[in-house]
Amino acid sequence: MFRVLAASLPYLLQGAVMTLWLSAAAVGIGTLLGIAVGVIGTTVSRIARTIVTGYIFVLRGIPVVVVMFLGYYAFPALGLRVNAYVAVGLAQIVYVSAFVAEITRSAIGSVPANQIAAARSLGMRRPAILMQVILPQATRIAIPPLLNNALTAIKQTSYASVVGVWELTYAAREVVERTLAAFQIFLGVMVIYFLICYPLSLAAKWSEARLSFSQ
Amino acid sequence: MDHVAQTAFFLAAQFPKLLSGFLITLGLSAAAIPLALGLGLLLLAPRMVKNRLIAGLTVAYIDLMRNTPLLIQIYLIYFGLPVLGLYPSEFICGAAGIALQHGAFLVETYRAGIESVSQRQWEAARAIGMGRMKAFRVVILPQAMIRILGPLGNQLIILVKDTSLVSAIGVAELTMTGKIIIERSAASVEVFVAVALFYLVLTSVLGAALRIIESRLAERA
Amino acid sequence: MMPHALSTPMIEVRDLRKSYGPLEVLKGVSFSVERGEVVVALGPSGSGKSTMLRCINHLEEYQHGEIRIEGTSAGYTTGASGRKPHSEAVNARLREQVGLVFQSFNLFPHRTAVENVMMGLIHVRGMPRRVARQMALARLDKVGLVEKADEYPAKLSGGQQQRVAIARALAMQPKVMLFDEVTSALDPELVGEVLRVIRQLAGEGMTMIIVTHEIHFARDVADRILFMDGGVIVEQGAPQQILSTPVANRLRLFLRRYQGDYMGS
Repeated sequence: MFRVLAASLPYLLQGAVMTLWLSAAAVGIGTLLGIAVGVIGTTVSRIARTIVTGYIFVLRGIPVVVVMFLGYYAFPALGLRVNAYVAVGLAQIVYVSAFVAEITRSAIGSVPANQIAAARSLGMRRPAILMQVILPQATRIAIPPLLNNALTAIKQTSYASVVGVWELTYAAREVVERTLAAFQIFLGVMVIYFLICYPLSLAAKWSEARLSFSQ
Repeated sequence: MDHVAQTAFFLAAQFPKLLSGFLITLGLSAAAIPLALGLGLLLLAPRMVKNRLIAGLTVAYIDLMRNTPLLIQIYLIYFGLPVLGLYPSEFICGAAGIALQHGAFLVETYRAGIESVSQRQWEAARAIGMGRMKAFRVVILPQAMIRILGPLGNQLIILVKDTSLVSAIGVAELTMTGKIIIERSAASVEVFVAVALFYLVLTSVLGAALRIIESRLAERA
Repeated sequence: MMPHALSTPMIEVRDLRKSYGPLEVLKGVSFSVERGEVVVALGPSGSGKSTMLRCINHLEEYQHGEIRIEGTSAGYTTGASGRKPHSEAVNARLREQVGLVFQSFNLFPHRTAVENVMMGLIHVRGMPRRVARQMALARLDKVGLVEKADEYPAKLSGGQQQRVAIARALAMQPKVMLFDEVTSALDPELVGEVLRVIRQLAGEGMTMIIVTHEIHFARDVADRILFMDGGVIVEQGAPQQILSTPVANRLRLFLRRYQGDYMGS
């Protein structure tokens, strides 16, 4: 009954590898970039804050597919010939970073003002306050939404197929269009995505339960 | 300057096409939103009953939707139903796929809102003699609705953005229109900048409307 | 016996005025605190007492007035061209000299008690960890909590947390200690242990400004009491005089409200 799926499995698993690469890049680099942008968005400089707010607003207001298309067509428009994976990968990194930046900004803002007052009262300066008081507490607050965001990013790598990037979803559609075994293949692919995502989903739920009790 | 003027002119000429794509996007949203809201409500009771089996099955469905991409679900419907002899239009496949996924997310949103109403409110209502159903309807639900509104609105904005995926099965909504314009002309990035602007306007308006509704409700509370 | 005119007061506040937007919270507060003096500020909520404390260590900015610590102008430099605010670096150095203990303790929840006390030593004074830990343990010992050194604040009672907060402020060896309603958030049975520490500090000659509701304690420990209401100092003087024979009506009302049985004792 699942003969077609079994036969196509090696091909699909290769697609899954590409999915994992794209996910790792989007989540890894996107999160780091987003944290940096988010921290910059909380500085004293009004210009910096405005730019970051604009960055977050624009990227969160458009669908990820459109951001991917923009990435895909931006490079040729600038005269650069870039691998489709790189173009779309970079686009997704930027997209993820906007959401992470918002999470970071929000987490930093959630650290009670009293904590900062206490640190200032000891004579601490802003860099030390940020590193020793704000970021450790903000990190705890940020972990559950960051994990959920990572989960979303992994699923969004499948949208790269719409732009023409070959990964698991693209491979699945190819096989189905060839063999017409829609149920087998797509259900099988759902299982593969589930196996990739579920551990992260559990981690996110666990972190929500554990870390929502502040010390 | 000449190139910029050319581009602007070109985009202006494409406006009608983009607009019709935008209207299809709105149509998809208008179709999928009630379906998703309804599905969420339908699944709310099974999710919250004490019966382990029923609640467990509902949770399993929600987890499945949470851990698999929307695109695969849309493909499954679009490519799978013909095998069963059903040939719904691409539009319906897209709307259904979106509703199935977002309905699952909405169940959790509803649940969180209800559970966030303090246990003490229940006790107070029961203490003055209200039955469970009445207590729910008159005391809990109004308070839950205010808390649900924010997350609900955000979820719906995500839903509207997700309509862009339906371009994958050929529905001529805004993103697909962008693709078509690029394929049929020498244009490139500018087209999708215009597409992005349309979406940005849409999500901004929705976001602003949401904030206004929230503040109105907060006043009344 | 040193002639009074030659010793500079530890703290001088002159005509302090502060507004939050349209709301004027401090309407011209002036007083001074000598070295080793314990001044208690009493008054109803909203009288501006906490705001005044926060102006002294420059956690808050103010629109008018001058504050001097040991003769040096704090927060702003007034010159021919008007008033220039000090840089954050200068303000930070000021705050090393002026310790502030908060009503809500504000311990760092992600650090143990001793690490809280070490925080300023390591990150402001640049002390190596080992030395800082020794000093911190000594401070915790002083407030009677050395056995709780490696506990996190969540495991400590309110009174214990507040004592750690005092140790943390003392670790910086400030010239002045400011206490902002430090027992108001505590359960009654925990208040005593904190007041004991403050009393001990007073006995050791620390210059202090204490904002409190605890009138008995004020009478015990204060060299001078300021009664504030509506953003001004209404009456000030020695505790005996202020509390037994209050002159201003507002002060009478305040005392009656907070200490019904105090009048006439």
